[in-house]
This record gives sequence, structure tokens and C-alpha cells, in this order.
Amino acid sequence: MNYKLYKKKKTKTQFLSKNINGGVLMDFKHVNKSEKRVDVYEKVTGKAKYGADMKFQDMLHAKVLYTEYPYAKIKNIDTSKAEKQPGVKAVITAEDIPNNEFGVIIENQQVLAKEKALYIGDGIAVVAAETAKQAKNAVEMIEVEYEELEGIYDPLKSRQEDSQLVHEELEDNEVIHHPLRKGDIKKGFENSDVIIEREYDTPFIEQAYIEPEAVVAVPYQENSTVTVYGSVQNPFATQNAVSTVLQEDLNKVRVVQNHMGGAFGGKDEVISSLAARASVLALKTERPIRIVNTRDESIKESYKRHPYNMKYRIGATKDGKIQAMEIEAVADSGAYACQTPFVTWRSVVQATGPYEVDNVKTDTYGYYTNNVYTGAMRGYGSPPIIFAQESLMDELADELDIDPVELRMKNIYHNNSVTASGQKLDNHEVSLEEVLTKAVDKSNFVEKFKEYQKEQPGDKKRGIGLSISFRGCSLGAEAIDAAGIILSLKKDGSVTLYSGLAENGQGLKTVYSQIAAEELGLETSQVNFMEVDTLISPDSGSTVASRATLIGGNAVKKAADNLIDKIKEYIADKYDQKEEDIVLKDGAIYGKKDVEIMKITEMAAKAAMEGVYLTTYGWYVSPDISWDEETGHGNPYFTYVYGCQVAEVEVDTGTGEIDVLNMTAAHDVGRAINPANVKGQIYGGVLMGLGYGIMEEVETNEGYIENTNFDEYMIPTVKDMPDIEPIIVENPDPNGPYGAKSIGEPTLELGAAAIANAVANATNKRIRSLPLNLEKVIVGKDLTKGGDH
Amino acid sequence: MIEFEALKANTIDEAVNILDDKEKEAKIVAGGTDLLVSIHNENEDLKGLNYLLDISSVKGLDIIEDNEDHLKLGALCTHSEIIDSVLINEKLPILRKAAQTIGSTQIRNRGTVGGNINNSSPAADLITPLIALGATVVLHSSKGKRELPLSEFITGPYENNRKENEILTAVKIPYLPTDYYNNYQKVKRRQAVAIARINLAVLTDIEDNKFKDIRIAFGSATPTAIRFSEIEKELENKHINDIDYDEIKEKTGQEMVDITGERWSTPYKKPVVGNLLKRALQEIIKEVQ
Amino acid sequence: MQKIEVTLTVNKKKHTVTVEPDERLLDTLRDRLNLTGVKEGCSIGECGACTVILDGKAINSCMVYTFQIDGSEVLTVEGLETNGTLDPLQEAFIDHQAVQCGFCTPGMLMSAKALLNENPNPDRDEIKTAIEGNLCRCTGYQQIIEAIESAANQDRSE
Repeated sequence: MNYKLYKKKKTKTQFLSKNINGGVLMDFKHVNKSEKRVDVYEKVTGKAKYGADMKFQDMLHAKVLYTEYPYAKIKNIDTSKAEKQPGVKAVITAEDIPNNEFGVIIENQQVLAKEKALYIGDGIAVVAAETAKQAKNAVEMIEVEYEELEGIYDPLKSRQEDSQLVHEELEDNEVIHHPLRKGDIKKGFENSDVIIEREYDTPFIEQAYIEPEAVVAVPYQENSTVTVYGSVQNPFATQNAVSTVLQEDLNKVRVVQNHMGGAFGGKDEVISSLAARASVLALKTERPIRIVNTRDESIKESYKRHPYNMKYRIGATKDGKIQAMEIEAVADSGAYACQTPFVTWRSVVQATGPYEVDNVKTDTYGYYTNNVYTGAMRGYGSPPIIFAQESLMDELADELDIDPVELRMKNIYHNNSVTASGQKLDNHEVSLEEVLTKAVDKSNFVEKFKEYQKEQPGDKKRGIGLSISFRGCSLGAEAIDAAGIILSLKKDGSVTLYSGLAENGQGLKTVYSQIAAEELGLETSQVNFMEVDTLISPDSGSTVASRATLIGGNAVKKAADNLIDKIKEYIADKYDQKEEDIVLKDGAIYGKKDVEIMKITEMAAKAAMEGVYLTTYGWYVSPDISWDEETGHGNPYFTYVYGCQVAEVEVDTGTGEIDVLNMTAAHDVGRAINPANVKGQIYGGVLMGLGYGIMEEVETNEGYIENTNFDEYMIPTVKDMPDIEPIIVENPDPNGPYGAKSIGEPTLELGAAAIANAVANATNKRIRSLPLNLEKVIVGKDLTKGGDH
Repeated sequence: MIEFEALKANTIDEAVNILDDKEKEAKIVAGGTDLLVSIHNENEDLKGLNYLLDISSVKGLDIIEDNEDHLKLGALCTHSEIIDSVLINEKLPILRKAAQTIGSTQIRNRGTVGGNINNSSPAADLITPLIALGATVVLHSSKGKRELPLSEFITGPYENNRKENEILTAVKIPYLPTDYYNNYQKVKRRQAVAIARINLAVLTDIEDNKFKDIRIAFGSATPTAIRFSEIEKELENKHINDIDYDEIKEKTGQEMVDITGERWSTPYKKPVVGNLLKRALQEIIKEVQ
Repeated sequence: MQKIEVTLTVNKKKHTVTVEPDERLLDTLRDRLNLTGVKEGCSIGECGACTVILDGKAINSCMVYTFQIDGSEVLTVEGLETNGTLDPLQEAFIDHQAVQCGFCTPGMLMSAKALLNENPNPDRDEIKTAIEGNLCRCTGYQQIIEAIESAANQDRSE
């Protein structure tokens, strides 16, 4: 069947974004250009200082003693021998922590284990010594008396009524439950000609930033009680955590972000924990304290992506219209709540996939176990769900004997579609059909899919698969969604920009500088983006959820617009001009009849001398959203992005090896502020999705982590890279700066599902758990865990 | 914590004298790509380590010597040197193929053939072809030197016959007539920098379109890399067009299981060893034709 | 603790350092010589963030004890820029957006530099082999390969 027959006529409404000079779409000077990144020089010369590169006078090195058992009572800690070791200046335990518990949502994460160790990465004590070697040596001298306990390591067990409690002060092991109800599920299934039920599983995943965690806490610098430097993804969350732990006012705790060697969501609570430990030691010793994790410590201690167990039931008419979906997703929260409530919330919003379904019953859950705790990782509750739901769609297509593109075409959202939450998608271009069509055309999907379904000789079999998603931009109903920028035009015409959102490597500095330069008519190189410093940067929440361009970019625009207003006021007053005639462009100020009044640098100097202060503040609050916790009704996100990825693979059915030959990735970003940057995000995200699909898995065994370094936790090398065809789609969003929205997470969340569908096309066998490793391809199930998928 | 004193030897004599003195307390380091990992991981078998003897400067241990009937590879030859060697590419190309799959460029620039053999990993990429080639190792001690077949030197996973006061100084590899066909297969969990899940070295002469002196060695399938003599017998003198691949696959898998018994990995390894051998044979046959 | 005197030429400058037996070249470079451009990512030679050029060969500096390499020559990322002029590789990385978080970048540059020193005209496979031991989590490698290709071409055209 030719899916093109079902292609609806495109009703592309013009959603123009506001821009400078009042609504006229102009050629951009900096925006939408692949300008060079502003922070590259220091990185290619080795001059950039990351957390572990920071050196302070009299700095001490600290090492953590981790628990020996994943779940154990701590009966006694004897640090006396350790304290006497050469070079040791202090040893702390939970007793020394003023307030031992913190957390972004639920404050039950221990800085150091007090009565019990709850997971294998719990810290018991910290030693500070003159050298790292001395600290390590002293750590081995600490004597701990444990009572090993039997832990619980399966959320499907820990959810049961009679299960032992991970947190004894709580009633049960449920961290959260998000329900969503729409329509009448019973009727929906009754109206279905075909109903299928499937179960899918995804594992713990490590963010695997190449830079391990690193912090330095410096006591009594200037007027701060403690200043924390390091690889801090969310400086304000860390500031909050340290303030809570030390029981110090926020204005006494300062966090300064260094260059970061990647985060991908993974440097939030774990960094806060290290920062808190270092801060306590800093105040105890009155010396700077450095804590840098080895890779093994990082993998053991830091939070992971949630493993999910997902049960889907879907009903459709025989011509492929989905009637009902019933979904249950269970996430393993590990020992602490961390971000589980929010991660599983995104899952409940997006669990059906981007499909019109009138009858939906979704329940997402998070449960405590004694496994490593889980939290934010790029995607944040979407990659597991997309793996399940896009695999399911192909399984349904197979059951109905309809091709995968056609089945999706029949069900995907369009403008004015209504989601499972009852939200009408009417304030932006819903471009699912566009990204699907573009990716499918570019990859020659339809023809290849048919071809590969036929019998292929030999062991090496080819397959092609696709996956499609919608993603709510920014935080949605998780938290207040606002960001601020301080923009300062100095008297010599140079500009500093303070942002509360942080450069993790994704190119935020460059994008913000481009936006500021675009608005102010300057060169990008004239803008100096300052590192996030809680002393002055406005608390803009966390750098997560692919929100930096969208929310932060809007704040940059606002700050710039406020500055322009000030300049217009000044010029109009001084130079007999009308404010509406004044334009800033090409480094100068133009007035009536497009005549140049003076250069911006000249104006800046003059203004300074005349007491006009050219520093402004831009605060952007995202549009209203709504969410009913009982029913899952509302408008959970104020806008969405759409993406489609196609993977072509060659499966070696003789050895189980999967060679991902090429991937096509079509993403609607609203507007690409920096197209080369967007491409970089696509390449990087696609490869991370590939790793999720075929090689990555944190292997746990009764709470122990078996693969704690990169020899056994494998991430893709350059030779694993497929040919990647990036397709940037731009449908400017009225809510985004210049129409821009999100790219960071959408590029990762689709890959595994597309590969899984490709493998099924190649082998005619369906694997329902990640990763699609050698054993699963050959034997059909995981061998180490005796899994049954 | 592992603490040690550093010792350096500039000649074999110096080295063996130090080993006589320190025995169990000393470990030898050259390229370091295995040892430094063990030290970082604080491996159990490093208990009692008090000295690290660096032999990376010992003269004469990095030779690639062309003798009449064999190649002598000094223990300090790095994998990169093996790959770059014109002589090896000409006379023993399977070694080059195997060396290319080891680690990364950085690791190959430091890792040595001596280290690979001494580590005695069941998955070692050089050991499998060396077993197929019938290589012998040369060990020096203060008492003199001894030689024994590599297949006898390696006694178990990560275990070998080296005495505490011995240094492996070279490996001798008998030449094959250059018209032997050779094939190296390696199954990996990703495309680079990966340990072999299974590896396979096949060497064979072809006479009248029949396999002659066929050697089949698997690594990472049995506790040590070994030649699968049963399947070799099965294929010896068989016509290349007369092969029942299903039977060969079944018998190969069975030969492995006969040695290892049923293990958790057997459902995977049993079919795959057969598939790999089939692939190697078919690639060789294609070359023949 | 035993102390050993070692002389190294690093970025064309001679240094004599006194090291302990278990001091790795990585530690000597970062902590004694303040060359913090060399990064530690895994400590077991898997990620390549610590790659430097030792006597002409790209190696993982976390896998070498300094006491082993008395008299050797080392080149780190800090030695690429000469007299304020960036190496063509560094320029190419900037031009081709080959840098995101930058943590893998020094190691990546050194592997590429070692490659181009030996083979000024590499094909794509040779480039991939040269950097297969340099893990990157941000970029997906594509723009890095393009940068190295461009630097190689540039050298050729001169």
C-alpha cells in the first residue's frame, strides 16, 4: 500500500515570531548562521580550566570511603587510625554534617550514610589530606562495622504490598504515581479489530560524560562562607543543596561553574552531594577541599537513567486507526527519589506517542529499591517510552499487515489534534508529517523496508526501521519555568552577559552571544558570556529539558530589548529623534531617514559620562501550563518539537553483531540559531541513541555494579558511527526566540527504537529489551540475567 | 593500597638477576597497558607486589628477526611495530590482521607481544593465531634459557608456566609456505577497542582444492586458546566444494562444549563458533576460487 | 618513599623532575608541570582523554610510569600553538565545530597530530583508526573527522 495516498493536504499556518523592528521578517546577521563557537580557543589550546584543573593555595585532597555492601546497617565507624595517617587533616562522617539530607524534590538523599547504606554508591566517610595518595591511603584505614542486610533490587517486587521498605519512615516504596485517563478504555478496546499486548524493558544507563565529577570548595572567600567551583551543571540547585546541608543562608553560599566536560543531565544531585561533603570539610579544615571522582567512583556513585518495565496494550481497527491504549510503566528509582517524580511525569504525558488516541489509560510509577539511584539523563523519561511505543507501533503494523509509515500517517497529530492529556495543539506548527515524510524520503524507507522483508541469503541481513516522537519543550508542569539574563553594555562598547543557565558543552554561550549580537547590532565576538556565578547570575532553574535556547534565549532577547529601549530613550532625548525611528545595526545607531547618528561604542562612552546606566535585566517566564494530577488532563507543555529518525542496519545473524549503516534524523527545531551547532547536537544525540540501542547497560547484580569503567561499560567509538544525514526542519515557533525551540534531547530519544525496528525488519525477530546485544540477537534473550524477552 | 619500588634493567642479565633476588615480590612492566590497569583496579593477584621491574629499555628485545625457517619476535615488539612490519605482512600476515584489532592506536603503540602472551587472557588476539602457527616461547633466567610451545606455556585463563625468576624474551614462529591461506575473525561488542567475545584463526594449505594441514584455533571459547583438533581432522583432506556446513557448525560447537561443559554463555557461543568457522572457511574458499 | 630523578623534554623544554615510582606521566604533566590540558577520564587507557605524543607516538599518559621514560620527548596540547599561531589542526577544529564540551579535545588533537606527522595524507579509515581510542560523548565524531580531513588537505595544499 502506498502511504502517500493518505497524505493529508498540508495546512501550514504562518506562525511568525516577533522580532526586532516590529514584525517584519528580515535577513538575520548572526542568528541562523553557523558562527564559530565563542569558547573554542581555550578548549583547543588546553587553557580551559575544568573542575579538576583548579588549583588553590593550601588545597587539600579528599577521598570518599564508600560502603562495602549495597544495603547494610552501619554499626560503627572507627576513623581513629585514619586520622593519624601522614598528611591527613580531617575525617568526617554523617555525624559531622549539619543537615545530612537534601534533595531537589524529596529531601531524602543522604550526604553520607548515617544508620544505613542504601545503595552501593553511598558514602560513609570522607578523608582530607595533603595529597590524593595520602587521602586514599587513609580511607583504607577507616574501620567500619557493617551488618549486611538483604536488599530489594526489583521495582516490580518493591511495589508489592508486603515488600520490605527501603525507607523505613515511609509507608511504602512508591516514590510517585502519575495517572492519566482519557475517554473510555473499555469501549475503545471493544471497537478494536486487533488488540496486542507487549512488554518492554530498558536498563540502567550511565551518562558517561568524559569528565568525571570534580568540585573544589573554598572556605571564606570574600564574603562567602564557602565557594564551590567545579563541574556543576545546575549551579543554583547545588547552591541550594549546600545551603540546606550547611544550614547557611543562600547569600553565604556561592557556586561558580567551571568549564564542564559534559553532563547530559548527570551532574546535578551527585555534584551537590560532593559539593556538600567538600564544603563541610572546607569549613572544618579552613582550607580548600578538592574532590575528583575516578571513573569507577563515578559509575558506582552517580545516578543513572531509570530502568523501565513497560506493559502496553493497544487496540486498532483493521485499517489501522488506533482506538485505545493501556499503558503501565514502572521505573526503578533506586535508593533515593532524586528526579523520579518528574522523569516519570514526562513519561505519562508522552507514553502514547504522537498519536491521536481517544481512549487512554496510562499509569507511570517510580519505586524505591536498593539499586543505584536514578535521575536526570538526556531524554528524561522519554527514551524508554519511545523504545516501547515505537516498537509496539511496528508490531501493530505487522499484525495489521500495514506498512509502518502508513500506520503512523493514519494516527499522527496534525495542527489542532488533541493529545492524551486533552491538549489541543493549536499554537504552533505540528510538523510530524513533515519530519516523517522528509526522513522517510531521504532514506528511501518504503522501498527498502519491503525489500528487506524478503528472504535474504547469508548470515548478514539488512533492515530499516523508523521511530517518531513528539516532545514537550522545557519543564512543563514540573516547576516554575523562568530564566533571567543580565546584560551590560560597558562604556567601551563591549558587552557582558550573565546567564543563570550553564554551558555544558552544548553551545549555549555561543547561541546566547549570537542572539545578543543580533539584537544589539554588534559582532558576536563583542559579547562576553560569563561563567555562571550564583553571586550575580539570576537563578534560572536548571540547565535541563532542552530549555536553554527556548527559555534562556527569550531572556537574552528580553534583556537586549530592554537595553535597546533604554538606548532609544537616551538617543531620542539627546538627539532630537523619535524612538520609533531608531535602529541598532552594524555597530551603529541609525535614526530618521536611516541616517547614522553615531557608533554604538561612541554612544556607550557618552552615556557613561552622562550617568545613563546601560545594564539591564531580562526575565522571561514561560507561558501558562496546566496539569491535573488525578486525571492527567491539561496543557502540560506550552509547545512541542517533533522528530523522526530512520536507521538502516546490517545484522550479522551468525555472530549477533549489529552494524548500524546509516541514520537519517529529521528534527523540527523551530529555528536553528546556529545550524552547525544543531548538526553537532544531531550527530551526538544519534550516537548516544545508538549506544542505548545496541551496547550500553549498567549491569547490576544484587545491588552491586559489575561494570564500573569504560572497558566494560561501552559507549560508541568513532568506528561505531553510522553515516548520519541530519535534516533540520524549521517551523518558527511563536514562543521561541526567533522561533527557536529545542534540539538537545529529541536527537537522543529516537535512535534505539529506530534501530530495534530495523533489526526486526532484518531478522523477523522482535527483541523487546535494550540493549540489543550479541546474546539477544542470537539466543533471543539476555544470558547473564536469564531474562525472558 | 599498592606500593612498590621501581627497578630498571638495561640488559637481560640485569633483569634476571633482579628477579632471582626479588622473586614473587617483583612484577615485570614494559608497555604497561595490562599491568597499570590491574594496579588501578587493585587486582587480588598483585598482593605482595613490592617491586616493579621495568624492562622497556632492555636492548635486543624488540627485534623482528628473519631466520631461515622461523620468525623471531622479541617480547618488546609493540603491536604497532608488528602492524608496520613489511616482513610480517609478507610472511605471517595473520599476525598483522590480529594485531590490528587490538585496543586502540595508543594501546598498540605501547602494548607488546610479550605482554599479550604473559597476560594469557583467553581472549588475547595475538595468542590465538600464535597457537595456530605453533609458536614457541623463549624464557630466560639466571640459569639459562628454555623454550616451550606456546600451547604448553599457557596453562589456564590468565595463567602460564613462567617461573618467578624468568622473563619471556621472544616468541619463535615457524614459517608456513607463503601460499597458505589465512583468516582471522573477531566478534566484538562494538567496532573498536573491544575485547574478543570470540576470536578465530584459521590457516590452511590447499592442494587439489582440498584442505591440507588445516589449523583452527579459537580464543575466548575455551579456558585457553586452543586448536580444535577434532574439527581439523574432520576438514583435513575435504574438498572445498564438499563441505556440509551444518554438520561442521554442529561439530565445532560440540567440540567446544565437550571441553567447557554447559556454561551460561553456551547458548550463545555454541552456535557462534560454528558460524564463525563457516564464515572463515567460506572466505578462504572464495579466495581460492 | 623512593624518589627517582627523570629528565623529560616536554613541549621542547627540558625538565628534570623527581618522581615516586607510581607517578604516571599523566600526573607529572598535570601536577608537576602544570600542563592541565592533559585530561584524566578513566585511568585505564580506554577513553584517550590523556593522550600525548611520546617519542613520536600517540599514547595514553595514564598507562606510563614516568620512571620508565627517562630521556623521552613529550608533546602535549599546550605544545601545539607556537608563537601565538595555532596549529592547522586546532584551526580546523574551530572552523568545523568539532568541539563541544572540549574535554576529549586535547587527546583528540594529539592523536590527530601524531597521525598527520606520520601520514600527512590519510584517508577516512586511517583517520578513524587514529582516533578510535579517543571517546567523545558530545559530538558524534562527524565534525571531528571533517576537521582532521580539512587540516590534512590544508597541509597538502601548502
